[in-house]
Amino acid sequence: MALAGDAVSGNGSSAYKVDVDISHRYDALVVHDGVRFGVRENEFLCIGGPSGCGKTTLLDLLAGILKPSSGRVLVDGKPVDPKVQNISFVFQEPSTLPWLTVGGNIAMGLRIKGRPRDEVEAKVRDIIETVGLQGYEHFYPHQISGGMKQRVAIARAFATDADLILMDEPFVSLDQPTRARMQQEVLDIWQHRRRTVIFVTHNLEEAVFLADRVIMLSAKPARILGNIPVDLPRPRDPLSTEFTLLRARCAGLLDEAHARSFSTAAAVSAR
Amino acid sequence: MSTLTDTTPAPSDEPADASAVVHANRVRLWEPMRPAALNLLALALFLVVWHVIALLVASPFLPGPWQIAQAFVRLAQYGDTQGTSLLTHAWASLARVLAGFAVGVVLGIPLGLLMGLYPGFYRATRSVIEPFRFIPPIAWIPLAIILFSGMTRYAFLIFLSAFFPVFTSTAVGVRRVEPLHRKVARVYGGGKLYVLTHVVIPTVLPDILGGMRVAMGAAWLTIVAAELAGGTNEGLGRMMVNYAELLKIAEIVVGMIIIGAIGFALNEILLLVEKRLFRWRWQVTL
Repeated sequence: MALAGDAVSGNGSSAYKVDVDISHRYDALVVHDGVRFGVRENEFLCIGGPSGCGKTTLLDLLAGILKPSSGRVLVDGKPVDPKVQNISFVFQEPSTLPWLTVGGNIAMGLRIKGRPRDEVEAKVRDIIETVGLQGYEHFYPHQISGGMKQRVAIARAFATDADLILMDEPFVSLDQPTRARMQQEVLDIWQHRRRTVIFVTHNLEEAVFLADRVIMLSAKPARILGNIPVDLPRPRDPLSTEFTLLRARCAGLLDEAHARSFSTAAAVSAR
Repeated sequence: MSTLTDTTPAPSDEPADASAVVHANRVRLWEPMRPAALNLLALALFLVVWHVIALLVASPFLPGPWQIAQAFVRLAQYGDTQGTSLLTHAWASLARVLAGFAVGVVLGIPLGLLMGLYPGFYRATRSVIEPFRFIPPIAWIPLAIILFSGMTRYAFLIFLSAFFPVFTSTAVGVRRVEPLHRKVARVYGGGKLYVLTHVVIPTVLPDILGGMRVAMGAAWLTIVAAELAGGTNEGLGRMMVNYAELLKIAEIVVGMIIIGAIGFALNEILLLVEKRLFRWRWQVTL
């Protein structure tokens, strides 16, 4: 299994679908310090880390709506740009547009790409069936529940032939049973229509449950603490020993980093 | 406005609830009927009280609803002292209002969008634009009489009163656009134009419509004042002044009622458009 940094040795022609090497600062504040990793085509990658690890900024950089102060994000060897590649994004907050129906929201990405009308209709019908929203096409977001809104956002993300699907803690505001169901649904959809997914979460159990591989980030300035392949067969049992061990490994990386930064701080203040 | 509270039970994640929501939508259609009946009752009560008072006072300066109705029929059938029919007067006023209103809307929306999207531009030009807002359209009448004649004069005055409500509510509405909605459009590859047409305008449209309703009210206020100031033989305001000189109160009141009725009808039409267009907003306002 490749290490996180292995991807960026080649010159654009790497084996990776997504090739990331960024250092980003916001004025004097270093947000990301040499974050380098690659994502294989159709891989499900989870990125975990403590709160304040700059995940929102990282996602904006990955989506190409923010440029890193140095480094690059390549998708298929080309700098990421949502107008060039097909990027999908599932946000933490409900991001359905209130003036569009469920069907209109799901079709949005396809319409922006200027796909022909009958193709849009066919694809929307198809994905609506996959996510189980049949009968709700003409409903407005205010008429459906929070879980369904998030399902609409997921359908919108998978409706386009996305090169890269970014997910920003999409289930954090859902209640636990809905959350568990949605996690399984995302996996089902992903197994149906293979896509490259980067899923950011603070919840390590969620990360190990979903991912092919978990990358752990440190607090700001964010560095990669570790790169943990999850070789467990799906469906995964969060109560199994292997699962618990992997989760503990991820948690251990965070604890270690925390202890290190704490001892550094202690050393500085002792001086 | 009336509180159309959302009676839709928040559906769970089970698609089986679809029919329940459709049912709730149907129930909602009956709700507006009740206020309509109550309004008719209030109107009838008002007319009865008026009639009784007019009978008791029995003065030519306080005509009752019946005299007003007679004056209305006379005006509608035979026209005024010069034979100009009521319809001609009403249409003259309405056409002026609609012309000025249209110009106000056509200029107010794009300028409001511009100012809302580029607040720096607004701040830089604020001291030029804002004082105009505080010159009442009526204060423009003397200037308008000198500079313009005929339709242009009235359209200009109506434009002045219609422009600012539309302009201001558009500019303020743009600031209400959710940054998240812009971001959704951008990450899916939408450019500036897409964000404008598919995120900004849908968000601002309710504010624009609201501004248009305010503008319509202001336009009626102005048209009567402008016609009172003279320079024309047609128009409801003109008609009222003519009858005021003859001390014929019933005809004046007919003019007032027709102005009120047309203004009310225009407002209702705009409200209807709002309800049609913004079904997605049911919970929020209306």
